[in-house]
Amino acid sequence: MSGLAHYLENEGLATVIVALIREHAVQMRPPRALWVPFELGRPFGAANDAGLQGRVLRAALALLDGEQATPMLVDFDEQAPFADGDPDWRFPGELDGSGVIAEAASVLPLWRRAHQRFGRTTLGISGLEPPAAVEFIHRFHDPEPMPNPKGMAPVMRARFAIDDIKAFYLEAAMAEGGHPSSRQLQDWFWGGTQAGQMIRQFQQRARSGDDNNLKLIAGSLVPAERTIAFLSADA
Amino acid sequence: MARLADIPEPERSVIAELDCPAYADTVPVEPAVPGERHVAIVSTAGFIVRGERPMLANENGYRRISSDVADGDILCSHVSTNFDRSGFQQDLNVMLPRARLAELERQGVIGKAADTHYAFMGATSPVKLEDSAREAGRSMLALGVNTVVLAPV
Repeated sequence: MSGLAHYLENEGLATVIVALIREHAVQMRPPRALWVPFELGRPFGAANDAGLQGRVLRAALALLDGEQATPMLVDFDEQAPFADGDPDWRFPGELDGSGVIAEAASVLPLWRRAHQRFGRTTLGISGLEPPAAVEFIHRFHDPEPMPNPKGMAPVMRARFAIDDIKAFYLEAAMAEGGHPSSRQLQDWFWGGTQAGQMIRQFQQRARSGDDNNLKLIAGSLVPAERTIAFLSADA
Repeated sequence: MARLADIPEPERSVIAELDCPAYADTVPVEPAVPGERHVAIVSTAGFIVRGERPMLANENGYRRISSDVADGDILCSHVSTNFDRSGFQQDLNVMLPRARLAELERQGVIGKAADTHYAFMGATSPVKLEDSAREAGRSMLALGVNTVVLAPV
């Protein structure tokens, strides 16, 4: 991201970067950077906190005021609220334990509620509806896999279906609001759902199989810290 | 969270040891005065518009997100497992604060929020992105943009 700042500034645009990794900003010396102490994936602080998001944006733009001595790196010292989550948070429903397809069906009503709550869904890059995305992965290695719709190679469809499955479950998990941390949500998804287990097994099979395209995507399916924990537990 | 020390291993070491290219100090552009700032956001979340082909790892192109695209049609195709999605899932503005930018325009803090924002694929070598970044920059200038807020994930 800091590299883009150099290129855009060279083209004649005044840039400010909201930097999440301070060390990278120090190394790459973008003209103006505001380091924010937020989690990766949340450069503007917190969801549904327009005040904090606006303060970050104002602080970034303020780097354009006054003397322009570059590189400029300023720290934003306000913390995001609820960064440690909510110890009382629980998944707001009952998961059907009879299999991953049944589990996905039990998640669907909550996901619909979340869709209404947030006014949108971030699911959709695979082009599959949520239950179909789960079934696509569940049957991927079967002798008769689910037909792959035109427009995307099966391995890429699988890659994006897995992201859609995660979005499906996590959006459903937030259907009743609350302030779970990302770690709480990840703990629940990878440790408490059959879908998480299915993705982990898919990753293991991708790694150990002889399909080089599957091997290429295997590393970006499960967070590395989780993969290591699973492997340690299995050993 | 978000200090390097708070990021779990092995991601922390990967991030800490990332071989960042070296850049000479760039001579800064003289910024427009606040009321004349025409501001676009550039994200590295790999944003696409629903129905578009997802961006791929190490892809060196970019996408445009115009103001008539609904929040619900902006998807994140960056597939790294290293960053949180749950904030974005609840509120687009955590990653792409276009509503906040529009507020700053209404409040007179900036002159104008751009009609088009831009997305690149993160975790791509910035050297590979140079040509497309410069092209995007020229596209912004042609639209009257003079200020860019860069937002990583």
